[in-house]
Amino acid sequence: MRAKTSAIWLYAVVPAAQRGAPAGLTGVAGEPVRLITGERLSVLVGDVPLSDFDHDPLRDHLEDLRWLEEAARAHHRVIDAAARSSDVVPLRFATLYHDEAAVRAVLSERLEDFTSALQRIAGRTEWGVKAYVDPDMLAAPADEPESDQNTPGTAYLRRRRAQRQGQRDARQRAAQRAEEIHTALADLAVGALQHPPQDARLAAYRGWMILNGSYLVDDERAQEFAAAVDSCDQRFPEVRLELSGPWPAYSFTTEDRERQGEQS
Amino acid sequence: MTGRDQSESHDATPNVRQRIAVDRESVERGLASLVLTIIELLRQLMERQALRRIDEGDLSDEQVESLGLTLMALEDRMTELREHFGLSPDDLNIDLGPLGPLLPRDE
Amino acid sequence: MSTARDEHLPGQSPIAWQGQQIALVDLLDRVLAGGVVISGEITLCIADIDLVRISLRALVASVRAGWDTNTAGGTANPMAKGNIP
Repeated sequence: MRAKTSAIWLYAVVPAAQRGAPAGLTGVAGEPVRLITGERLSVLVGDVPLSDFDHDPLRDHLEDLRWLEEAARAHHRVIDAAARSSDVVPLRFATLYHDEAAVRAVLSERLEDFTSALQRIAGRTEWGVKAYVDPDMLAAPADEPESDQNTPGTAYLRRRRAQRQGQRDARQRAAQRAEEIHTALADLAVGALQHPPQDARLAAYRGWMILNGSYLVDDERAQEFAAAVDSCDQRFPEVRLELSGPWPAYSFTTEDRERQGEQS
Repeated sequence: MTGRDQSESHDATPNVRQRIAVDRESVERGLASLVLTIIELLRQLMERQALRRIDEGDLSDEQVESLGLTLMALEDRMTELREHFGLSPDDLNIDLGPLGPLLPRDE
Repeated sequence: MSTARDEHLPGQSPIAWQGQQIALVDLLDRVLAGGVVISGEITLCIADIDLVRISLRALVASVRAGWDTNTAGGTANPMAKGNIP
């Protein structure tokens, strides 16, 4: 019996009506992407070498940011390409199975979940909105405490207290802005959630990231949504907004994520 | 220590020395940033505590003045040390992962 | 079926669309933390990805344990945890 040398990497679940994977598409290992077709659902997969994708080598690779970047982009490329011609339910990065039989088994076990996920995202697109603020623009100019040359230590403490208070006020104001923006955008979406703010060392931005949201929006409302982002940008001059997308509905594949947002 | 270094000619020794010197510098800097981070943590805690007690009003004017002078001197000294080691305020921090950074980044 | 992608190609809107290079952080926010999670006969289970996230935490702050469950109703304040950069 020959030892297995490959595993199956899963990209996304698509309706079975989908006739084939987009031609010439390659995946995380440069492998050709293919379709495993079930009764009502199919899944886009690739055969990847165990030498790189077995538990231990994969774990090591995932700690290498360059490898991770390449693989994540490839994973997304496959899903994004598929999303151009059908609804897709993305699978989490690094979902691997030993063989085709196991993949078919999970397709039928989770038929209901996948089907409702497909229905939930049909005709909808995920958009990302990030908001940044320059803390200096938020802080009200601190009243210069009367400086008394006879008591420089006391003056110092007064200054420090004013600065701390100013920072607190700025944080509060920023939180309020973030909340207003998130609420306004969630109003136009069927699902909304916030990711943690991105690490400034990786994302390279100045100031504070006060919002890092994902919004599931009906395609007919996409323009309206983009306009709302624009209008929030105008309404809050101290806040800078960035729209990213269109994304396949990564953040809204499970029911509780949708419940977290405002429903329309 | 790579094979390549050993196979170089007579510059192997200065290269190694240079690398050790750089390493020592960065080790010192690493230690300095760790120590200064802890001191900065304490400074912030003391400052917060001082302001709280002033607000509570249980310190005399002289005590407030003395406290202020001490904290002011401490802040100046910290800045000196930081600049001596070429560390920015952002360098003084420890990432506690899920707990976030040790020091709030904006105080 | 027409998707938003068909209607909004890059260059047709003043707002930045995905035609440009996608920012890695934006991608990781989604592919690592999003998507359906299934387990079973897999070679790398999700719990191990959490370990990887922890070792990447200095670089990638996009996934924090339990964060997603705390954002119910979108009321969580990202800055309340003192993580302002």
